[in-house]
Amino acid sequence: MLAPVHTAFASFEVAVNNAEPLTPVASAVAVRDLWASYAKKRPVLKGISLDVPAGQLCMVLGPSGSGKTTLLKSIKGLIKPQAGSVTVLGIALRTGLKGSAGKDLARKVAYIPQTLGLVRNLTVLQNALVGTLARVGTLPSLVQVFPRPLVEEAVATLESLGLGHKLGEKAYNLSGGERQRVAIARALMQNPRLILADEFVSQLDTPRAIEIMDVVKGIASQGVTFLITTHELNLVASYGDSAIVLRDGRKVHEGPASQVNLDVLRGLMQ
Amino acid sequence: MRWLRSWLPHLLVGALALLAMGKMGLLDTGRWSHGTRNVATFSASMFPPNWEVLPAVSGAMVETIQIAFVGTLLGFIMALPLALPSTRTLFPPAVTLPLKLLLGIVRTVPSLLWAIIFVVAFGLGPRAGALGIAFYTLGFLGKLYYEAFEGVDLEVTEAVRSVGANRLQLLRYALLPEAANTIISQLLFVFEYNVRASAIMGFVGAGGIGFYILGYVQLLQYQSLTTALLVTLVVVLVIDFLSSRLRSVVLPAPRPSALG
Repeated sequence: MLAPVHTAFASFEVAVNNAEPLTPVASAVAVRDLWASYAKKRPVLKGISLDVPAGQLCMVLGPSGSGKTTLLKSIKGLIKPQAGSVTVLGIALRTGLKGSAGKDLARKVAYIPQTLGLVRNLTVLQNALVGTLARVGTLPSLVQVFPRPLVEEAVATLESLGLGHKLGEKAYNLSGGERQRVAIARALMQNPRLILADEFVSQLDTPRAIEIMDVVKGIASQGVTFLITTHELNLVASYGDSAIVLRDGRKVHEGPASQVNLDVLRGLMQ
Repeated sequence: MRWLRSWLPHLLVGALALLAMGKMGLLDTGRWSHGTRNVATFSASMFPPNWEVLPAVSGAMVETIQIAFVGTLLGFIMALPLALPSTRTLFPPAVTLPLKLLLGIVRTVPSLLWAIIFVVAFGLGPRAGALGIAFYTLGFLGKLYYEAFEGVDLEVTEAVRSVGANRLQLLRYALLPEAANTIISQLLFVFEYNVRASAIMGFVGAGGIGFYILGYVQLLQYQSLTTALLVTLVVVLVIDFLSSRLRSVVLPAPRPSALG
């Protein structure tokens, strides 16, 4: 399945290789009265509730320390909530994260951390193939024997992201924009239904950020849900379907991104 | 009073150092002048080197390098599998703490003492030396390696774990490649160190050039001692040079622009 994505700088065709049909799930993410913390007495999230409909690109905004990363990690199941519930792709996280069902959910929900989490000493292709680990047997993966269709899929995905000529390059030799695309490729290789990206384009200059967000928009148009935390207010209206603003661990605004008034948003974020 | 508070730690350290030096006789000027004369006499009797012993000394030096090489390799082979389950980001404290304690105990014993233990167990010869080096290397590298694994960027391990990778895959695709530079760099460093340590293994009958060095000192054959020391010096310098070359080949520096 290929969808052309045109950007001001380059034209990519990004493949979302979902072998399974995208069955509609009313709500990709449903969070109810979520409380979460790192230290017991200082909650970072204070009773957050939100819904992200499937196939939407939801922008999560908020000043530093407002709980954006904690929200994403809670949805990914990396942080155990103190109270409340998180339902992802129809599965309640508390009961749904064990055994093969848990592994399946882990595969369907891709998480791109703020620093991208690329393995510096692995090549671009190897980093992309990391996304397939849940689908490959342990022993073959340990000796780096990946099924040929998966390797072809990874190469095609990287080529569609404009990285076809860098397959053998070590991650530490890449530029910021290239590393961002490798992280997208790794996420796509999970065949995800939901991609959680933390401060995804914050470290890029505006033209690169626009380029990457065009790629993201193309992927979202094929039914993959995105939850992206960002500081970049100017990207919200042009790329987001919906926007959520957090402040001090609480949700202070939720609404369609197209109706967001930048000045109001700026005020909410201060 | 402010100056006293800021100078107090310096004064205390200085006083303690003087006290310890006095106890050792380092402040005894009589002993200093006597000792200096002895060093001059000793140094004069070391030259010229006795080149006749060069073949015997060179053979022993080869054995020393073998002890260091085999010992380092055995130590590395034991250290890596023990460092992995000692990594707290991979395993619970019930597994990591006893292993860390074990590595700590192994590390406390110096390589020469390990060699004595193995001389007692297996008899004289380079086998005891190589095992002594191996056990010291195990304790040393084991600690450095689990610390390297624990020091891997949490976001990298989180990102790899979050794709649904299991513990072994996490190890293969995050910890080992991320810590690879440290693993190789410390391995080369400990090999250089072990060449020096192997040079004295012969003191306790565990093979190598140390046997000759100790023998020449005890038999007052200082010119032969010079030959043995010169051979050791040259070999250590060559190995340091080669390992630094190897390091630059195996561990290319990343482009500065890509460091961010």
